[in-house]
Amino acid sequence: MPRLILFHRLILRPLRREPARTLLTVAAVALGVAVVLAIELAGSAAAGSFRSSMETLAGAADYEVTTAGGIPAGVLTRLALLQEPLKLDPRIEDYAVIADRRRTVPFLGVDLLAHRPPEGPSDSASFSRQDSIWTGADLGYRTGDRVRLLINDHANEYTVRGVLGERSGEAIVMDLAPATRILGRAGRLDRILITGPAPLDLLQRAAGPGITVAAYGSRTAENRRMLAAFRWNLRVLSYIALVVGAFLIYNTISVSVVRRRAEIGIVRALGAPRPAILAAFLGEAAALGLAGGLAGILLGRAMAQGAVGLVAATVGSLYVSSTPAPIELTLATSLLGVALGVAVSVISALAPAWEAAQVPPVEAMSRGRRDHQVRVHSLRDLAFAAVLALAAWIASRQPAIDGKPLYGYLAAVTLIAASALAIPALISGLTIAGAAPLGRLFGAEALLAVRSLAGSMRRTAVLVGALSTAIAMMAAVGIMVGSFRQTVLLWMQDRLQADLYLRPASPAGADRHPTLAPEVADRIEALPEIAAVDRFRAYEITYQGMPATLGAGDARIVARYGARPFLSGANPRSIFAAMPGRDNVIVSEPFANKHHVRAGDTIGIALAGRPVRLNILDVYYDYSNERGYIIMDRSTLLKYLPDPAVSNLAVYLKPAASLESGRAAVERAVAGRKVVVLTNRSLREEAIAIFDRTFSITYALEAVAVFVAIMGVAGALLALVIDRRREFGLLRFLGGATAQLRRVILFEAALLGLLANVAGLILGVLLSLLLIYVINKQSFGWTIQFHWPIAVLLGAITLVYAATVIAAIYPARIAAKLNPIEVVHEE
Amino acid sequence: MKSSALALLMAYRLALPGYHYEFPRDHFNHPEFQTEWWYYTGNLRAADGHRFGFELTFFRHGVSQDPAATIWDVNDAWLAHLALSDIDGQRFRHAERLNRQAAGLAGADLAEGRVWNGNWSARITANAHELTAIDAAFRIHLTLTPQKPPVIHGANGVSQKAAGEGRASHYISITRLAAAGAITIEGRAYKVEGLAWMDHEFFTHQLAPEQTGWDWFSLQFEDNSELMLFRLRHKDGSSDPFSAGTYIDAEGRARRLTRDDFTLQLGATWTSPETQARYPIEWRIEVPSLGLDAQLGTRLREQELAKYWEGAIELTGRKQGRPIRGSGYLEMTGYAGPVRIGD
Amino acid sequence: MPILSLQRVRKDYITDGDPVPALREVSLDVAPGEFVALMGPSGCGKSTLLNLAGAMDFPTSGAVLIDGVDTSALNDAGLTRLRREKIGFIFQSFQLLPALSVAENVELPLMLAGRPEARQTALDRLRQVEMEAFAARLPYQLSGGQMQRVAIARALAPAPKLLLADEPTGNLDSSTGETILQLLRRIARQGTAIVMATHSAEAANITDTVVRLRDGRVEAIAAPCPA
Repeated sequence: MPRLILFHRLILRPLRREPARTLLTVAAVALGVAVVLAIELAGSAAAGSFRSSMETLAGAADYEVTTAGGIPAGVLTRLALLQEPLKLDPRIEDYAVIADRRRTVPFLGVDLLAHRPPEGPSDSASFSRQDSIWTGADLGYRTGDRVRLLINDHANEYTVRGVLGERSGEAIVMDLAPATRILGRAGRLDRILITGPAPLDLLQRAAGPGITVAAYGSRTAENRRMLAAFRWNLRVLSYIALVVGAFLIYNTISVSVVRRRAEIGIVRALGAPRPAILAAFLGEAAALGLAGGLAGILLGRAMAQGAVGLVAATVGSLYVSSTPAPIELTLATSLLGVALGVAVSVISALAPAWEAAQVPPVEAMSRGRRDHQVRVHSLRDLAFAAVLALAAWIASRQPAIDGKPLYGYLAAVTLIAASALAIPALISGLTIAGAAPLGRLFGAEALLAVRSLAGSMRRTAVLVGALSTAIAMMAAVGIMVGSFRQTVLLWMQDRLQADLYLRPASPAGADRHPTLAPEVADRIEALPEIAAVDRFRAYEITYQGMPATLGAGDARIVARYGARPFLSGANPRSIFAAMPGRDNVIVSEPFANKHHVRAGDTIGIALAGRPVRLNILDVYYDYSNERGYIIMDRSTLLKYLPDPAVSNLAVYLKPAASLESGRAAVERAVAGRKVVVLTNRSLREEAIAIFDRTFSITYALEAVAVFVAIMGVAGALLALVIDRRREFGLLRFLGGATAQLRRVILFEAALLGLLANVAGLILGVLLSLLLIYVINKQSFGWTIQFHWPIAVLLGAITLVYAATVIAAIYPARIAAKLNPIEVVHEE
Repeated sequence: MKSSALALLMAYRLALPGYHYEFPRDHFNHPEFQTEWWYYTGNLRAADGHRFGFELTFFRHGVSQDPAATIWDVNDAWLAHLALSDIDGQRFRHAERLNRQAAGLAGADLAEGRVWNGNWSARITANAHELTAIDAAFRIHLTLTPQKPPVIHGANGVSQKAAGEGRASHYISITRLAAAGAITIEGRAYKVEGLAWMDHEFFTHQLAPEQTGWDWFSLQFEDNSELMLFRLRHKDGSSDPFSAGTYIDAEGRARRLTRDDFTLQLGATWTSPETQARYPIEWRIEVPSLGLDAQLGTRLREQELAKYWEGAIELTGRKQGRPIRGSGYLEMTGYAGPVRIGD
Repeated sequence: MPILSLQRVRKDYITDGDPVPALREVSLDVAPGEFVALMGPSGCGKSTLLNLAGAMDFPTSGAVLIDGVDTSALNDAGLTRLRREKIGFIFQSFQLLPALSVAENVELPLMLAGRPEARQTALDRLRQVEMEAFAARLPYQLSGGQMQRVAIARALAPAPKLLLADEPTGNLDSSTGETILQLLRRIARQGTAIVMATHSAEAANITDTVVRLRDGRVEAIAAPCPA
């Protein structure tokens, strides 16, 4: 009970007395918790509980059979003849776009003869008709509806013959035979689901070498594994706002302690033990954390709704097609949010609360010593900072652990800590050097602002630390993304040499490669305007348990027209010359990094059930997908997978032909088919748009962190005004005008912003080097060339700067409104 | 719709008199006819006296005669039924499957000497028919040894089912096969022996619209003779004049029976809880020309499979004045709605 | 003309909704160079009088004229200008800004007023109070007497005609207090009028005029009578 009273008097009353500041602190924690929670929820919905869109209608299968390029029908037969009671579910898996809904849904070819749909005509003929489809329950169609579907490069009307049962999702189902015709498949299957008891090795023997038989869900597990790293990075990013929030809690509690030293002294003199004081201030932090955590849950749930689309877009363009699950805010997640808020608050408050507990009872006697100065050993801290920076450098040289750049993140955290320790020295240096000239330049207000910041060094250091950390993160990610973007732009300039690009209208994805009919390419090649057509085909494959993409183009054409920079710097022509007809491949940099292979290595993959050994000629720079590419010549691909359909075409015009006439001719040649014809320029623009979309979640997270920091600045300045109210009153006695008082606060905000920007930019550049050369390289495996995104950086910094100063307007008004007589005479 | 269906039908060959039978060729596929089936039925007994009836049937139905564009195109739908009547365990187990021919999922092939649907198959050689069928709950593996040569039912190679050209089938039976092998139910194995019967029929369209079903009997007597009878029924329950049968004597000689050669009397019935169909499961058969008067019944009433009843039966009665016993199979269709072949 | 003239000044504070008079009908003239002590028990209205005299507050009725200017006629900017040009404040607890050096503290009013040569003037004023050697120090490095000297230098920085001192020796030991009083005495002789609120009879003794306040009224105005 006495403790509660102590807590009430020492903590709760002051909190209530300054509702604006209390609210700001709670809001900062709430935002931090909300961002973490939102990313957790959105990540879980879009990537964590990953279920490929293709998992619909899979039932309770025990095994799944897959292979690159499709499973020959004979495998199904061999499995069917096994002397085991197995249920086999052969499937062709692709995507269709529902034209009027502009929605991409799984399009499955299944054996409707063996596994009859629950509804629809019962005669054997109608289910195999070309226009018969069965639709998933979630699509909301009724039997007899007509649906226009865009599949690969054609759009047709289909008739809904029946609606599938529960858990059929949004799938559209058709019999194997018409699906094979519509998708232009060569009769191979994408997957066979097996239900029933049978030893795996028996199934593997029956399926034959080069066919993957695995427990059902292995592919989902693979995808989850791939997405785990992505989620991990996203999660780390989401904690930035919380870290910034922690700085602010630290600040809030520090201010409480400093202000109430005399009260603490009195309470101690009256017999309160140290732990009671410690508990009271930790209690304050816990209360703020609890309130912030609770508010954060609601805010996080709301933010997750917005984030899930962004996360899903990133997952879709970088990794794998998936359908976001509904967002589920569980009790466990909610508790996690609250616990996070409380834990971060209490941990941040440990140091100031400890300090409070150390206040000796005699402090009660020394009334009037309001501005208790805590000595800041800025030089000693600077030395610590140097040690930490060295540690960060060493950590940055370490390899990834389990595909995760743990050391990279350690280096980043260490660097942030080093920066926090170096900030007092920076402030001292700048204020000592800057006070007099600033005073001369801007008058008393500037002098007062500089001096007061330097005078309350610890508070200033925390504020600058929080804001500069947020700015640094923003700058680092900005530089990284900007560098990445510039790298991609330059790379596209090298890589995209063709005049026109064609691809089916059905949307492609990292794991989704709709096809064009081969005759499209033939027809275009025959046009008089055309110099060459590069036919590119992509297949989704698995290499060593990780998804990858197998691609094939015409090496001769690439050698003649295109340029593909190689890591080794070797002459592309000689490499491309060695590809046609041979089992020679080149692999993309992410593939090489992920699987630790390099030029000269041999890799084994299975193509249509045949094991093939491929020699890696070289590794090329690639930024188009994170899964990694194996590229072979088209002749090699057709040797193993004689399916002439293409995923896209690169068309080179004759020098004499104009782009307009060439494009018109190509469009005439593909008339009647759903083919997208892009010029070189529009393809690049589209690619960069996808790039920007991919990073929008990153930007959003940065923005929240900066926002939290600015809220912290506002709250801290408010505290500052209240603590220095006597000083402001005095200024009025000394002939200061109200406008001058306001300017002092604005100057302080401006200086805080300046210091934070300087510190933040320095730290940000260092962090961006970590991001570019360590974290990104280790997580995704691509080499990014460093570029300064000057405009973006300047814009962002100006914005942050302006926001910091704007955040000071309210505290400045409070300062101007104080009654000088009251505040000067109150003791 | 009608005309196109007719056009489809016209493309298939009709079962016409004068068909020249040749074995082993005619044990296998006849894709030029729209419908074809192979029926294996029989009564078995385990060493411990446990009695079983079994049935393994393969159906082929022509869906389309268009040239196949993909491997998955369905020209023929292959249906198969597997049933095991556990007489003493009073339990009827059955399974069904439907497949396409694609890449050898199902078929009937002379060169390979087998008729199959997935891992259910009949390997046919000159000396034996080896049956294998596997289901999650039970499996059978039987070697059937023909005791008599194949019988061609009807007259001039056709078993006429209704008035009109082609309303008939080519109908082959092996009426007595010695069966031996193993049955496994829920992991428990039985060594079994007994008698089996094989029917193989192919045709394009045989029933007339007014014929709504049939009752078919295969009876194997202790005296090494067999009797096949079928009664084609009209909607009102009356017998069609094209109902007929065949008697095979101990030496394997076949004698044709027509509608007037036999009488059938219905006894007790059993109503299926599944389809609500009322099946007569007790019969009295009289064939005066054979001096036969027999009572038929089953020890297991519930032997309904899909929309028909097909099960093991036993008979007692008198033949040529002497008491005689026998066993066989009874198939009753059209009780749960009119029969449409090729569903 | 008096540098400070209070004419029938009444000042009410609102406490719990009712006006409580702090000063009633107070009239007082202070001539240039006059050193006036305000005496009286706590709550008699000394501080209120100083605030009114320093243009920090307006009378409820009556008029306060500083160098002939009626404060009630001025807006905030006018009052600020008046304070900058005519008035200096000295406080019991010195009220130096801890973050500013001694010289900067003295410079502050000049800088706020935007006067040129602030540093030079500040150093002159520090010399005047014999604190020029401490110009670069921070307040916490000084003793109480030194701090009050600096505060006086700061009050004198804009060369005000009126110095208002609220218990300037209240926080000092008696010998240091004596030095400060002598300093003030010297300043008054140089022409700056001083109004000093004090409890101390010794302090009052050094002044030209003693004004005794009781319950917000002037009880007596007289020359100090040495004890």
